[in-house]
Amino acid sequence: MAVDDNRRVPLYEGSTQYRNWRFSPDKLQETRSSLNAAAVAGIRKAFEADSAVPRTRQPGSSANVSFLTPEEENLLVKLYIGKISQLCGLFKFSEEVEATAITYLKRFYLKNTVMDWHPKNVMLTALFLATKTTNHPISLEFYASHIPKTTPSDVLDLEFLVAQSLGFEFSVWHAHRALWGLWLDIQTLPDISITTLSQVQEIALQQIRASRLTDAELIYTPSQIALACLSLASSDLAKQWAESKGSLSVLAIVENIQQLIAGEGTDPEVEAVREVDKRLRLCKNPEKVPGSKAYLAKKAEEEATALARRSKKADDVKKAMEAGDPFGDELGMREGALDDDD
Amino acid sequence: MDAVEKANAERQKRWIKDQKVGEGTYAVVYRGHEASTGKKIAIKKIKVGQFKDGLDMSAIREVKYLRELHHQNIIALFDVFSSKTNLNLVLEFLDADLELIIKDRSIVFLPADIKSWLAMTLRGLEFCHRNWVLHRDLKPNNLLIASDGQLKIADFGLARDFADPGYKMTCQVITRWYRPPELLFGSRYYSTAVDIWSVGCIFAELMLRIPYLPGESDVDQLRTTFRALGTPTEEDWPGHTKLPHYVAVGQFPKPPLRDLFTAATADALNLLSKCLIYEPRKRISARDALNHPYFFALPNPTNPAKLPKSASQLAPRPLEEVDGNVDPSGSAAAPGTKAAGTAARLKRKASVSEAETRAVARRLDFTLSSSQRSP
Repeated sequence: MAVDDNRRVPLYEGSTQYRNWRFSPDKLQETRSSLNAAAVAGIRKAFEADSAVPRTRQPGSSANVSFLTPEEENLLVKLYIGKISQLCGLFKFSEEVEATAITYLKRFYLKNTVMDWHPKNVMLTALFLATKTTNHPISLEFYASHIPKTTPSDVLDLEFLVAQSLGFEFSVWHAHRALWGLWLDIQTLPDISITTLSQVQEIALQQIRASRLTDAELIYTPSQIALACLSLASSDLAKQWAESKGSLSVLAIVENIQQLIAGEGTDPEVEAVREVDKRLRLCKNPEKVPGSKAYLAKKAEEEATALARRSKKADDVKKAMEAGDPFGDELGMREGALDDDD
Repeated sequence: MDAVEKANAERQKRWIKDQKVGEGTYAVVYRGHEASTGKKIAIKKIKVGQFKDGLDMSAIREVKYLRELHHQNIIALFDVFSSKTNLNLVLEFLDADLELIIKDRSIVFLPADIKSWLAMTLRGLEFCHRNWVLHRDLKPNNLLIASDGQLKIADFGLARDFADPGYKMTCQVITRWYRPPELLFGSRYYSTAVDIWSVGCIFAELMLRIPYLPGESDVDQLRTTFRALGTPTEEDWPGHTKLPHYVAVGQFPKPPLRDLFTAATADALNLLSKCLIYEPRKRISARDALNHPYFFALPNPTNPAKLPKSASQLAPRPLEEVDGNVDPSGSAAAPGTKAAGTAARLKRKASVSEAETRAVARRLDFTLSSSQRSP
């Protein structure tokens, strides 16, 4: 066990972000496509179960539903990334909270689809969770009361789902922190005009914010993104910094990130998203729509399972009583059968 | 079922709860095992439904940091899953804690044993600090001992990343007896030095076998501290009288540490004094402490597997010891904690008189060498 200590793992490589939340662009696309395909298949089935009129209950009743593509799903998520920023402005949350909530939203949709969970709700939960995980907690009541048409339970109902989807990995390393480090470094470079520095810093930070609308953080490290953003603000400074570190080669990767930010780092066109959202209303999973037949069927199924479990437990107790020992067997021998909530 | 729910259900199936070992308002702890391997584990089931703000901060902090920190001297978090409205943490199973061992009068500590426990504590802490995490609740009760003797830092319910310089943090952290004077004076800007003070108190407690600075209130904590280490002067600790909650609690001379720690080596006392320097910026770092001559002088630290164990350590631990999340201020600041239990424990401990402290300190036998202990 002490053997591992011989190779000290760089801090970032020990992080859950490095281990579980980095993808190649291809892998990212593949993940989204297969998630989308599985969701479409599942919802098709649910639709067929939900068809109210018997004559439509036949294979093919969902054939003319136009489901969202992975790209369209992503577009919708992107819109709500922008909404997180707006809310953070309203609440005057820190950069840390904003960046973390955005990361949570992106990671959530690498495990779920917008056809099951609308980003409008997930976004509210992701942001509330981020205030807590970054150590800036506010009361739920205050939070919900400042967002139109939102009750505390709208936020809380999804909290477990969001936390589970994140794998309970709450710690996120951000590019804006890396930029801060670069900025401190740069000030120690020789022949730097201090007066232009803060302007460069401001522009670089704007680029970081733009990068949050892209997949950059799911592909590159925070420091790579920060360097790319610095380079967008002042390529000379980025070059000088890299030279001072003796590794001009780091600049090679910067170009890819810059292209990504230039190509994707703007809010989506509202009209395009509106069209997607309209179609989403027709193709969302009926099991998640309270009141629908599929929803009721799923609830009933869940309750039946819970009931079966409870009656099994009651049986166990009864058996124990009949066996003469009202306290049942030695607890340890029953593999947790008495635990009442899982 | 959603993919995410399915994954959660599968995780849940991997772990079997065997026996409840404690229950409180905040959590229930079970002993259990891994279904496939039989490996012993502990499951801490945190009741979430009762909090109106959802997942509570202690649970979030604990999960957040334990998910990231992997080190031999930090408790391992194997898995996390949810069941209904509960959050379940699957943790390394640990038999005992350092408090239990310190209190077990049937055990004699050798200087090499103390060195071993201290080294393991500092290694774990150095790793936290290297990862920008402050623990903020170090005490013997939170230093758990594995069956192979390895010490593991546990309970990250009060941990946080250090803030940037100039960013305020709360001073209501660390259980009082282990809380440094800068926090008692209300400092809102602090760093790794707060944890080092706690390590100093634990080091002293290992030598004395009773808590070193058992204050009965926050003000009494300052008085107790100054009585033991002398009232700091402006020169010792520039600017401390300007801290927000500064109060003068009397002038006490600085007695030599040697008076109380009669059997300790000069190296041990030198390291202890460096952990308990008033000026936080001068207090030794975890890294430097590990390189202190104390750790290179004889006797060598005892091999963890050969450290003394408490006979009572296999018995289920009372919840206050397994349950994390003690509100160290003893106030109602954190919801759902078991402040009452803490208060009771504090009272019990605080009743030990100073005379007894000295007697115990003298009774310690530091003359044996490790070779003399029968295997």
